Parts: sequence; structure tokens; C-alpha cells
Amino acid sequence: MRAFFILWKRELTTYFYSPIAYVMMIFFLIIMGFSFWLLANVLAQGAPGVSVMRELFDSLFFWMTTLTLAPVLTMRLFAEEKRSGTIETLMTAPVSDPAVVLAKYFGALSFYGLIWAPTLVYVVILRMFSPLAAPPDPGPIVCGYLGALLIGAFYLAIGLFCSALTRNQIVAAIVAFALVCVAFFSGFLSFMVREEAARNVAQYVSSLAHMRDFARGVVDTRPVVFHLTGTALMLFATVKVIEARKWK
Amino acid sequence: MSEPMIEVRHLTKRYAGCTAVADVSFTVAPGEVVGFLGPNGAGKTTTLRMLACYLPASEGEARVAGFDVFRHSLEVRRRIGYLPESTPLYPELRVDEYLNYRAQLKGVPGRRRRQRVSEVKELCGLADVGRRIIGQLSKGYRQRVGLADALVHDPELVILDEPTIGLDPNQIRHVRDLIKSLASRHTVLLSTHILAEVELTCQRVLIIDRGRIVASDTPDKLRARLQGGREVVVEIHAPPPEAAQRLAALPGVARMAADAAGAWTQFRLECSGSEDIRPLVFEAAVQHGWHLRELRQEKQSLEDIFAALTRGEQEMP
Repeated sequence: MRAFFILWKRELTTYFYSPIAYVMMIFFLIIMGFSFWLLANVLAQGAPGVSVMRELFDSLFFWMTTLTLAPVLTMRLFAEEKRSGTIETLMTAPVSDPAVVLAKYFGALSFYGLIWAPTLVYVVILRMFSPLAAPPDPGPIVCGYLGALLIGAFYLAIGLFCSALTRNQIVAAIVAFALVCVAFFSGFLSFMVREEAARNVAQYVSSLAHMRDFARGVVDTRPVVFHLTGTALMLFATVKVIEARKWK
Repeated sequence: MSEPMIEVRHLTKRYAGCTAVADVSFTVAPGEVVGFLGPNGAGKTTTLRMLACYLPASEGEARVAGFDVFRHSLEVRRRIGYLPESTPLYPELRVDEYLNYRAQLKGVPGRRRRQRVSEVKELCGLADVGRRIIGQLSKGYRQRVGLADALVHDPELVILDEPTIGLDPNQIRHVRDLIKSLASRHTVLLSTHILAEVELTCQRVLIIDRGRIVASDTPDKLRARLQGGREVVVEIHAPPPEAAQRLAALPGVARMAADAAGAWTQFRLECSGSEDIRPLVFEAAVQHGWHLRELRQEKQSLEDIFAALTRGEQEMP
């Protein structure tokens, strides 16, 4: 546990040593800022108050950033340690494999949270200057953030797993991007296949549908459980990949 | 007799299609400085990695301070300071930050950490580069940072994989002095492919080749056996049993081989002492009226012996 916090702190601070983190942060804030501008526009036109948070949490921009953020934030985690050989000093220190995996994962998740944090300003602005009769309901806002966190948690775990597979950051990022795209686009199968069962399955795993619900303020336990178990599965797989060098 | 610091029994590591380490057994007593000598690719790094709990053994077992490296890996890792071959470091950190982080990770308690970090910095000659970023340091300084990292938690056993590779002669001397100074407090196992290095730093040498240990001795004895163990070749015309007896009785002759060719017999005398026995051989020949056709000494450098030892092994199936 002690080792976990030391490693977690190191992982989180390492983001601030690299330009990639700042670039991603700026990229994210520009896109989310544009997204917020659109939302403000919709409100300014006096749109009915239905789920305005969809502009923020269920837009093309949201998906564009989330799908690219996860691979970029996680590609370095194990691949770089393997490439530079520091994995050897790390794994010969008295720390357990799960502690290393979890520290790297929560380091990435914390940074993901930090990237999202500035968008809380939008909420403050909305509540202060909302043209609606009543300020926007806090429900969809909280749910929107919850959804962003859950989906981010799952995608970052996928990214971490990919990083553990290779010593090349670019390969890790590409494989992770492919996998999160599979997770994302599998939702579209429900529009393409005729088979009833397949459509149902696609509906259940569709990140898009989940996020739409969250942005409306609906918390269904099914997507929550889906993302948490998906995250746990990917982390478990990552631990196994790291342990694999110890298999005889 | 105290418990050995390292106890390796029948350690074997197989990769797909090749055996990197084959049935290696050795022990290292506490406080010893042992050199692991072998040509590149002999299995040094693989053995050290298994001892440092980075790789599992395919067969056999290794214990460090009584703990099995596989089953009690964390206990072993708490007791070792390991410097991998390429000295991997985080280039974006400052020296102080890195050593502090590593000390924390290795469980040096907070109040002792500051003291330990400044101690190892002093020891490794890093006192005035603490604020420098590791990525901007020269190779020599980076090597010292790696060494400082290996020592920061005051481990019982220090494992150094090629600690002087890539350094200039002054830096090499500095690192060797440092390793020698560790001997009083730590057990040291270091690997190298440089012979002079083990002679200068180690109390005992293990020579490994093609995954097998081919020799284990102190550098002095090894030198006596290898370099001092010169061979004198004598060819005389004399009745073999008598000559053989007399030659074997000469002081300083450890072993003798005879090879008769007609009336002439060639004797190869292996000498253990440092004294030259050729005058004695000559006197014996004069005294007994033997015809002497050849009398020469074959000198082998440590390098030759090393080459012979390791090449000889290669020819074995």
C-alpha cells in the first residue's frame, strides 16, 4: 500500500514532465471549450431546456477527445519503462506487480480527472448566467461527469493493457486506439444488424447509448457495472501480462 | 560458519531454443566481493537477473540471505541493491529527486532518507550534481547515480552488472575503489568481462562460459594456476622411468606428462611455484648425462588461460 502511493505520486507527476500531457490538455480544453460555446449558443437561442448537457457529454467532440485521450495518456506507462530498461529497476524494487499496475492506472486516471477539472468552470458559468427560468438541473451534470469518468476509466484500462504488451509507445497507442474504437463502435452494430439478439447485445455494450443516458441524468446500474467490470478485467489482464515474464 | 549470502543450486535458465544458464551452483559468503567473469553472452546477466528476482529460473533454486528468490521474492528484493547492465534511469528527474524516490520505494523510513541520500551521494561522488537533471549527465555520472540507487537502502547484497562498462579510465578507477570500499559492509556480486577488473576488486572469481561455471577461485590462486602455472617443456634422450622420476621430484613441479617419441621423450612439467625450474632441469640433465634437445617455458597470460578455459568449453558437445 505504501509502495502504491509512492508509485502513484511518481506516475502522476511524470505527466507534468512531458510535453504530451500539456499538448493533450490544451487540445482537450480547446475542443471542450468549443463544445461549450455550442451549448451556450443553443441556450441563447432559447432552446427548450431538455438535456443541454448532451452538448457537453454526448457530442462528437466529447467522443473525439475521449477516444484519443485514453491511448495517448496510457501509451507511455509500461512501454517506455520497457524500452528504457527502467522496468528492471522498478520490478526488482520491493514492490508487488499489482501495486505497480494499479499505481500506473490510478496515476493515469487522476491525470484524466485533472484534465476534466477545468470544465467545472462551465458549470459555474451556466448556473450564473443561464437564460433559462430555472438554472440547469444538477442531476444531468453530475451524471455527465460520472459517465465521463466511467468511460474514461474503462478506456484508460484498455490503454494500460496495450502499453504492457509492447515496448513501443506508438504501437501501444495504435493498438489501444483500435481497441477503444471497437468498444465505441460496437454500439453502432445495433443499427446495422437485423438479428434481434445481436442488436440487444450491441445496445448493452454501446458506450454511445450509455453516455446518452448519463447526459440525460439517467444512472442505469447496467452501464456502471459494465464499465467497472471491464476496467477490472483489463487491469487483471495487465497484471497477468506483467507477471508473464515470471512464467516458466 | 554463518549462513551463505547467496546460495545457488543447479540453476538453469532456458529460453526458447537455447540454454542461457546451465546447472550453475555456487555460494557466496557474507562480506565477500565476488566477480562473475565471462565473455559476452556467457549467461552472466541472466544469472544476476535471476538472483535479483527479475527472471524466474527454469530449474534449480537460488537463495539470498536464506530466502528463495522465487517464493520470497519481496523479502529478497528488500535485501538487494541491483544495478542492471545498461544503468536504466529516469532521464527527466533530477539526481536528488530520483534517489529520494528510489529510497522511498525501497522503504527507507522518512527520517533516515535524507541522511541516506546524502551519504550515498557523498560515497558515489554526486554531492555537487544533486540538482542536475539525469538526462543531461555524462555516462560516468549516470553510472554513479545507478550505483547510488543500488546502495541507497543499505542492502545486504549488492549486485552490479558490468558496473564499469562505458566509463573512462579515471571513472573506472573511481568505481573500482568504491566497490572495494563496499566490502566491509556489504556482500558484492559483480559481473564483468574484463579480467583486470576482477583482479583489482574481487576476493573471488567465478568464471562462467556458455552458461556453465568453469572455474571458481581467488584471483591470486587463479593467477597462480593460470599465469604462474607455467609449463616447462623438456625433451631429453634418457630412459623414461628414471628421468620421469627425477623430473617429477624437482621442487616446484606440480604435475608432469610424458610423451615418448622413439628414443626422445618430451616431458611437460607444470609448475606451481613462481620460481623458474629450468636451471634445475638443466643441472639434472648434466648430472645424469641426459641429452637435452629442448628446454623452454610456455607462458600463458591470464587472457590466454581465460580464452583456453572458455574456448575449451565451447568444443564440448
